[in-house]
Amino acid sequence: MAPPAQSQRSPSPSQPSGKGEVSDLKSQLRQLAGSRAPGVDDSKRDLFKKVISYMTVGIDVSSVFGEMVMCSATSDIVLKKMCYLYVGNYAKVNPDLALLTINFLQRDCKDEDPMIRGLALRSLCSLRVANLVEYLVGPLGSSLKDSNSYVRMVAVIGVLKLYHISAATCIDADFPAMLKHLLLNDPDTQVIANCLATLQEIWTLEASISEEASREREALISKPIIYYFLNRMKEFSEWAQSLVLELVAKYVPSDSNEIFDIMNLLEDRLQHANGAVVLATIKLFLQLTLSMTDVHQQVYERIKAPLLTLVSSGSPEQSFAVLSHLHLLVMRAPILFSSDYKHFYCQYNEPFYVKKLKLEMLTAVANESNTYEIVTELCEYAANVDIPMARESIRAVGKIALQQYDVNAIVDRLLQFLEMEKDYVTAETLVLVKDLLRKYPQWSQDCIAVVGNISSNNVQEPKAKAALIWMLGEYSQDMHDAPYILESLIENWEDEHSSEVRLHLLTAVMKCFFKRPPETQKALGDALAAGLADFHQDVHDRALLYYRLLQYNVTVAERVVNPPKQAVSVFADTQSSEIKDRIFDEFNSLSVVYQKPSYMFTDKEHRGPFEFSDELGNLSIGVDAADTVVPAQQVDANDKDLLLSTSEKEDGRALSSNGTAYSAPLYDAPASVPASQIQSDLVNLTSGLPGHMPAASLAIDDLLGLGLSVTAAPAPAPSPPSLSLNPKAVLDPGTFQQKWRQLPISLTQEFSVSPQGIAALISPQALLRHMQGDSVHCIASGGQSPNFKFFFFAQKAEESSNFLVECIINTSTAKAHVKIKADDQSMSQTFSTLFQSALSKFGVQ
Amino acid sequence: MLQCIFLLSDSGEVMLEKQLTGHRVDRSICAWYWDHAISQGDQLQPVIASPTHYLFQIVREGITFLACSQVEMPPLMGIEFLCRVADVLADYLGGLNEDQIKDNFVIVYELLDEMIDNGFPLTTEPNILREMIAAPNIVSKMLSVVTGNSSNVNETLPAATALCVPWRTSDPKYANNEVYVDLVEEMDAIINRDGTLVKCEIYGEVQVNSHLSGLPDLTLSFANPSILDDVRFHPCVRYRPWESHQILSFVPPDGQFRLMSYRVKKLKSIPLYLKPQLTSDAGTCRLSLLVGMRNDPGKTIDSIDVQFQLPPCISNADLSSNCGTVNILSNKTCSWIIGRIPKDKAPSLSGTLVLESGLQRLHVFPTFQLRFRIMGIALSGLQIDKLDLKNLPHRPYKGFRALTRAGHYEVRA
Repeated sequence: MAPPAQSQRSPSPSQPSGKGEVSDLKSQLRQLAGSRAPGVDDSKRDLFKKVISYMTVGIDVSSVFGEMVMCSATSDIVLKKMCYLYVGNYAKVNPDLALLTINFLQRDCKDEDPMIRGLALRSLCSLRVANLVEYLVGPLGSSLKDSNSYVRMVAVIGVLKLYHISAATCIDADFPAMLKHLLLNDPDTQVIANCLATLQEIWTLEASISEEASREREALISKPIIYYFLNRMKEFSEWAQSLVLELVAKYVPSDSNEIFDIMNLLEDRLQHANGAVVLATIKLFLQLTLSMTDVHQQVYERIKAPLLTLVSSGSPEQSFAVLSHLHLLVMRAPILFSSDYKHFYCQYNEPFYVKKLKLEMLTAVANESNTYEIVTELCEYAANVDIPMARESIRAVGKIALQQYDVNAIVDRLLQFLEMEKDYVTAETLVLVKDLLRKYPQWSQDCIAVVGNISSNNVQEPKAKAALIWMLGEYSQDMHDAPYILESLIENWEDEHSSEVRLHLLTAVMKCFFKRPPETQKALGDALAAGLADFHQDVHDRALLYYRLLQYNVTVAERVVNPPKQAVSVFADTQSSEIKDRIFDEFNSLSVVYQKPSYMFTDKEHRGPFEFSDELGNLSIGVDAADTVVPAQQVDANDKDLLLSTSEKEDGRALSSNGTAYSAPLYDAPASVPASQIQSDLVNLTSGLPGHMPAASLAIDDLLGLGLSVTAAPAPAPSPPSLSLNPKAVLDPGTFQQKWRQLPISLTQEFSVSPQGIAALISPQALLRHMQGDSVHCIASGGQSPNFKFFFFAQKAEESSNFLVECIINTSTAKAHVKIKADDQSMSQTFSTLFQSALSKFGVQ
Repeated sequence: MLQCIFLLSDSGEVMLEKQLTGHRVDRSICAWYWDHAISQGDQLQPVIASPTHYLFQIVREGITFLACSQVEMPPLMGIEFLCRVADVLADYLGGLNEDQIKDNFVIVYELLDEMIDNGFPLTTEPNILREMIAAPNIVSKMLSVVTGNSSNVNETLPAATALCVPWRTSDPKYANNEVYVDLVEEMDAIINRDGTLVKCEIYGEVQVNSHLSGLPDLTLSFANPSILDDVRFHPCVRYRPWESHQILSFVPPDGQFRLMSYRVKKLKSIPLYLKPQLTSDAGTCRLSLLVGMRNDPGKTIDSIDVQFQLPPCISNADLSSNCGTVNILSNKTCSWIIGRIPKDKAPSLSGTLVLESGLQRLHVFPTFQLRFRIMGIALSGLQIDKLDLKNLPHRPYKGFRALTRAGHYEVRA
């Protein structure tokens, strides 16, 4: 008579067993089915355990389904549980047999023990067999009104399960309304939390087809409901708290007093033992204060300590998730963390992915006051046993050097690395010295002296070798034996496997030739010959180009190959600020861990519950919502704030610089350059070069993205090339979606819509018909007053070059916020003008 | 939300599978995960994107807890939940290992059933779970033999869910009322080769073991709460008294729990020093280590040991010490177990390392990790002032202990 837990060890489930044993089980079960003998429950229990253990290791025991059901008539709750587990697992593949179980499950749903009622209901809902839903409605309905909260809790989740099996049945039975009633009236907080989770999911999925559902979904984030949750916050379980905090983060308080009230109420959540609650609270605080620069900064100060404690308290896995979030915040506002740099020091036995995050944070927070200590610390890592770590730390030192103005000490350190005589250290350092010289040419003397001593034989990694060769070419006049080193490298042309190195070798020997012709002539000849015979297309082409250039005119060749260079002021960032903002909007989600916004790694169908399901572009709602909801506050933003997202900051600057109300550019140009100059630069670039300056190509992309404010353009724009659109353009939604994801935003604008237009915009359809008249077609639209959202596309008349537009119209502010993407970037400005004029005519005639 | 939870053994075998939603997750994901885990080695991240699912994984005692999701969700929710599952299972089964789980898989299923439904975590509070599902301990085994009642499921549902103190068992009764408060601290420090302290921080926990009848109300105060840098509380702690007077006021859960965790930073004194010396010349390197007391904490320091990784360029090592034992493992990890510092001599380790041929001098240096334990003192200096108990029929027994051990305590060479 032992409980199952420690009964005589059944044969280890890991031993695979054949069909024989299953049929053996079957006959044994059959014998027991009708028996009422005392002790029969124990034998049943052993058999059930065997069946379940087979199931667990993956042996198919569905053939005993009938017998299991027959044996299920018992009062023993453990037996019942095992039976439920079994049935839940196999019902889906045996829908006919599942019918057998309905009877006993329904009976159990009326048992006097609430635990059995709950368990039976849970199993009943977990069968997930579509043709059995009719049997679900009755028990669910009565269980929702059960006197025991455990049963109600199970029933609420049961409704969600039912919805996923058959949405129509669930809606027809009016379950959402019952849940809403429970949500607002149930005494048990776990029931309420389950109601919330269920309703969110159901209404989000329903919102696309039913107006009522989307209204209900909106109502969840209305003031009374939010306050109802906030007031009961402490009664919720920790998991339910995270759920509620997520919901509150979507609520937009009406004024700053309300924001402070909410934050005061929730401040103690920052000290909760559960990391999920703490992070959800932090997210809420950050979202609430996004438009209040000073407070936002205070929030950073406030959340610093809890985050740092979370990092040091939990398991390594928890630490990592928290560190990813900390990383995001540090990258956003490094200055605020600059005094906490010691927290980012790496411990020896931390996993590499943690160290890497910490190194990036150390790099970001380095400033005048702490650089010395940080670099000293990084140098410790460079000498460490851990080679990948040593490499990363050297890169970090280099990055710090590139972002600082006072680099004396760092250059010395880097040069010391070169003297360590470890090949990987030398390799990494060479690459860095090259970048450093591009930014600070004034250091060339010191660096060259050390680099000159490195034997090229000790450098094997292609990147490092390329860097060394670049320096040899660039500074050949200062390095005494540069031509001879190059010559020996060219002799070994055949052994050089990396095409990158060979390309650099060609360029370097050219540069060297211009400076020291007599010594290099032979090497140049050899290099060109070897290059022309090279099997790699790029190398061959470059050699041919150089050859022809030299043949044509040596001075011209020099102007092309070795023009006077300007020091690089800023190296392009790998992630655009737009993407960083978007990740920030998705704080406390997987996006932060992957360092990618969710649209880059999740399929649409699996997106979180609060996504607009009618939306095509998959672009973050957070940004749009913030833009449309708080335009007034954005104006307050000024240049000094470092916390606001870049786009908002630029908005502020543009407003103050040209004093007009309409402008929404997004550019990443150095702040010191006057805006008008950039704009005229842009004009040159767009009309002339399509962008062919290797180092600055990224910057140019962003420059192209600079929106010239049409209504108030100060720069003399060249007369735009005329553009006619194809009135019968077609584009299927799939292609649109794909293009929308691929193309960069070429223009972001905001303009006002005439009052007549707003008046005419009672429904989205009115605007669609109007725009069609101007050959701009709509592919999707949606939204509720005051925010309407449209996706348009248009095609050029002659060729199949597409323009894609996302347009959000806020009827209360009479503003249209437009994002344009185009196959042909140079035409997007023209198209924008056309689009705007079409929009402005809406409702006028 | 989570769609499925798998428990894998240390050989990658699926021990248990719990589907949580209608979207069945195929077992093949485990095979994918296992291959991935092997290829990544110790670089495996806790959150992984597989071709079909996002995986959360934690490893406890060789057992991998793997959860799958296809939707965006707070990552900490997944990880934190798995950690709780591991804690609860270890608590129920008296430790985690493959046999325990295989023997008790029915209980594991039962537990998971109550802890999460349809992917939403419900309750992870051990006290509530204990009331729903009895643990398979000796007592219940005996009881079931005697009474003939063999169910491990309690007859009644926990009343606690309806109370406003969900963490507490409804009405426990003890003959001996007792409560123990432990301060457990871990010291993290980085010390440079010249002995300068780069960073020194303490992470501490106040652990309470409470066996009190009824609904007691406890107040714990510290003599010097101002040294605490940041604190986190068990849900039972009331926030206001802490806010105004730095007093911990709470109704405790029954049994062992973590009342509070805290951090104290910028500490100046460390209990032990380690002086490494490495001099290399002509292909060999002399290594000598000295360990001694830096600041006497006033209590014995025991379980001292030193671990370090020899650089890969060392082909041979010959090390000996004047006390304790020295072991060099095949992966070039060296451990020197000292125990206590003897009264008459300072522990030292010395020896020669032979470098690989062709190398003259050593360029990479090991980091030494020191471990120790000090009973009877909290090195942060935190002191418990008093513990008051209200709502108790009898005078309970109160016990206090403190313990400090080394966390990441490392010395660079």
